[in-house]
Formats: sequence, structure tokens, C-alpha cells
Amino acid sequence: MSVFSESLQAKIQSFLTRYETRRSAILPVLHAIQDEHGWVSEPQIEELHHTYGLDRVHVKEVISFYDIYKDHPVRKYQIRYCKNLTCHMLGAREAICRIKEHITALDAQLGEDGPFSLEEFPCLGKCDGAPVMLVNKERVEYATVDRVDEILAKYAPLPKL
Amino acid sequence: MSEAKPKIILRTEGLPDQRSIKTYVDKAEGYTAVRKVLGGLSREQVIEEVKQSGLRGRGGAGFLTGLKWSFVPKDMPGPKYLICNNDESEPGTFKDRYICAVNPHQVIEGMIIAAYAIGANKGYIYTRWEFQEEIGYLETAIKEAYEAGFLGKNLLGSGFDFELDHYSGAGAYICGEETGLISSLEGKKGQPKVKPPFPAVSGYLGRPTIVNNTETLANVPWIINHGPKAFRQWGTEKSPGTKVFSISGALNKPGVYEVPLGYPFASLLNDEGGGMQAGRSLKALIPGGASAPVLTPTECEGLTMDYEAMAQRGTMLGSGAVIIIDDRQSIAELLKVTIEFFAHESCGQCTPCREGTGWLNNIMDGILDRSAKPDNIERLRTVSRNMGGKTICALSDACAMPVMAFVQKFSDELHAYLAAGSGSHRQ
Repeated sequence: MSVFSESLQAKIQSFLTRYETRRSAILPVLHAIQDEHGWVSEPQIEELHHTYGLDRVHVKEVISFYDIYKDHPVRKYQIRYCKNLTCHMLGAREAICRIKEHITALDAQLGEDGPFSLEEFPCLGKCDGAPVMLVNKERVEYATVDRVDEILAKYAPLPKL
Repeated sequence: MSEAKPKIILRTEGLPDQRSIKTYVDKAEGYTAVRKVLGGLSREQVIEEVKQSGLRGRGGAGFLTGLKWSFVPKDMPGPKYLICNNDESEPGTFKDRYICAVNPHQVIEGMIIAAYAIGANKGYIYTRWEFQEEIGYLETAIKEAYEAGFLGKNLLGSGFDFELDHYSGAGAYICGEETGLISSLEGKKGQPKVKPPFPAVSGYLGRPTIVNNTETLANVPWIINHGPKAFRQWGTEKSPGTKVFSISGALNKPGVYEVPLGYPFASLLNDEGGGMQAGRSLKALIPGGASAPVLTPTECEGLTMDYEAMAQRGTMLGSGAVIIIDDRQSIAELLKVTIEFFAHESCGQCTPCREGTGWLNNIMDGILDRSAKPDNIERLRTVSRNMGGKTICALSDACAMPVMAFVQKFSDELHAYLAAGSGSHRQ
């Protein structure tokens, strides 16, 4: 019995033969797993090792090296907020503080079921829309402090601060 | 004879369906250079054309593209690879993202020609994960190019095969370094490799590999179609052609603009960029991404946007990431942002980089919360001086260079910042 859905198994299988070596499939396979599950779990790594021939050591070092891969459960909406030079100059810090306040309030009510997580991110490459953030895969530009409430409310109801 | 603001790269910008193969073919000489090359140019001729054009790598280092291609051993049997480095991650840089959104087919056409020139039958475009939208555009463009017969087997009946695939990174700045990228493409941690051997001889899976930046490759079809001489009508003797700049900060029209190399900085800021936002003035300029040493307004006087002018002022054009620092910004904070970035992105292989960026970060924390002693400001430079030229790749230098420039040029402000909190000094 696989820990992966049938469609995910097919995807993993296709990546294994798509590149010159099986090992090159590790990054695309992990992206595919995260697209469905949000993170990569220990049983999934074991199945990759035993069923698909992706060495667990190789898989784990990749997960630990790259920012995008997570080895723990994630919230429904992962916010990655750019804090680099241009975003910093145009108000990232104030917006990040506001987001943190919302997350603290939400988590006080909902605990681990809180909808948002926040990662202060090295750079998102959209400095002409600064300050910018990603909500899961969606890019949100001009995410200034005065717009944060409105932006977050599109994803989940916010308690009054 | 030459237009003042030629478009070599962003040729489809603003046209309906700007990134479709139809628009590229109908409006921008799309895939005519490939026909010319496969119709009868030898590999040597293609390399010679690019050499003569003086095209320099647009990813940051500015190395001569034709020369790089010529390093691939001609007679070595077995596979060779071409990789498009689309892992644009230098803070302040967003021009490759824009090129992918506007004119992805010109990148693909450039890749086909480059692959032919070096004898590669397989290519990859490696894009940072954060560019989800643009990855979609590239995948569509690759599919269109296959359907039109520009990718695959026996291209246009020439007997030349070229397969192209896309590969997505996973959030690591170091994968923009060409050997780090190769490690990543091999499914490993994105750690750079010791050079030599250079990738042109031993790269992806130990095979000859050329890694070129997105914008660099997009220049190639134009050069093949119009010739090196026409290319050299723009730019300077040592920096021919145009450059796609990304300009950001508190200005009216931040964005991506293609202008000839050697273009005046003042025009880029005031004409293309729309000038500073009302009530703000230029305090400093980072001309080529976070790793480029900062310039003061005095140093910006008469500044032109090319490799030589930047080198004369002790900084670099880098990837063309123009970051405008306005008068409301704190240099102490920007220095902290810069250091923290490189400390986070250090891959950890080399001690001077792993430890050096960490020390700088700790020292900077002390300065920022004003617990540091004044001599810690100078210590930032001492540590930086010991980080340069001692590591496998240039990330360590990329951190040290801007730190030294910030400290040297804004020493008074940093000392004043510390002194403002002198009551809380640790003695």
C-alpha cells in the first residue's frame, strides 16, 4: 500500500526516467509531493528509498539544503515575505510585523490549525512590485502594511486585533 | 543610423500575445536565425560571429560568451549539455523573469543556436522556484517550439537534434553560481565545485557543459541575424550591445528597461525610472545587485551603465540590478539586510564564507541594537578582508565587497547611529 496517491505515483515514476540519472529526479519528485501534501514526511522518504530507488540520505540532504522543502507539517497558507533591500526600503518590516500580529491572534484561537505561517524570505525577484510576498505559489505585490489586513482576509477570516 | 533605444531582447514587449510563438515569428524575426544557422553555418562560424560581437555574459561576471563556447572540446565523443541559467536570485535583479514573461522564445532560439555551436543535443532551463508564473510561460513556450519543429530530432532536416527540458530550483541563491546549478541539476545540494576543471570540459555529470544566463542567450539570435558589426553599433568598445536593467527603490517607475550599454545612469533613473518619488532624494546607488559595492551620489555623477565605468569606480555592473537608496533609508539597516542575506545563502562548504558571513551577522546585530563598541564598525572590514579570494566560489567575496564599501563610504553615519544609543553601550 503506497503512501502516495495514484496520480502522484505516476508523476514520480515519470520523473525517474525523465533525466539522465535517477538522482536528478529528487528535486522534481519533492516538488510534486509538496504540491499535494505541503511537506515531505518520513514514511514518504522511506517509500522513495525502497520503492523508487531514491536514496534516503540523498533525499534528506536535499530537503535540508533548500528553503522550499519542509520536513514538518505546514499551514494551509504559507506566506513567504521578502525582506531584502528594495522590499525593506519600501516597508517590508512594518508589513511583516502586522502579519505576525495576525498570526499570533489566529494561533491563540486555533493553535496548530491556524491558517497562516510566515517565513521571512531572502528575495523573491519582483522588486518592481515591492514589497512583495508569496502566499503558497501566488505572488502578491505592493503588500504594504496598510494592505495586509485586506490581503490576508482573502484567504481566511481574521480576528479583530 | 542607429535607433537611440534599440530593442534586441524585449522585441515583443507590449505586442498582443507577446510571449506566443506566433508573435515571435510574425513580429520579431522569430526562429529565422535558427534557419540561417542550420541552413549552412558551421559550428566554428557561429562561435566566431558571437566572438566578434563582443557579447559578454549578462548574468553578472561579464565573461565573453563566444570565448566560453570555444572552450568546449570539439572532438570529445559522448554527450554535451547546454544550460540556461535562469536562477535569477541576486537581490534587486528581476530582468530574466521579465524576459521570460515577454519573449521566452528568443531565449529558446538562442539555446538552439548555442547548443549547435558547442555540439550539445540536450539542454535545460533552470529557473528558481519562486518564479512560478514564469515557469508556466517557459513550459508553454517549450511545448510550442516542439510543436513547431524547432526542438526535437533532426531540426529542419539538418540532422541536428536538440531536446530541451525545464528544471525548477528550490530556493537557494547559490544555485545561480554555475557549478552550484550543475550540482542542483544532478539532484544534489547546490554546492559549487572546485574549478578547474571548468564546466566547459567537465560539467553536468562530468560532461562538457556550457551554462549561460537567460539574457545572454536571448542576444544570440539577433547577432546571427544582423551580424557582429550591427550589434557593436550600440554600447561601448568593451561592452557592446544593449543591457536589460532592472531598477527598483523609491522611484516613480521601477521596472525593467532595455537600453544600450554605456547609457547614462541619470537618464536611466530620470527617464526610464521616472525619477525619485516626490520628497525623496538619492542617497546612494547599488548599481549591480546586492553584491555590488555601493556608490555615493558624487560617484554617480557622469556615471554610465557599462562594465568599464563600474570597474573604474570600484564596483560592478553585475546582473544590471539597479537599486536606488533614498534619503529616508538607514545604512545600518541596509547593511544588516545585506549581510543577513549572504549569511543565510552561504552553502557552508568553505570556512571563510560560512564563518565569515556568520561573524559579520553577529557583529552587525550588535551594531544594530547599539550594544557594540565603535571599533566593531571597523571590525566588519577586517573580517571582510579575510573572506575574499579564499573560497571555492565568489559568494564570500560577494558579501565582503559590499560590506567594505558600505563601511568605508558611510562610516560617519554608522558611528553616528551607534553613538545615538551610547547610553546603552556595553562597556
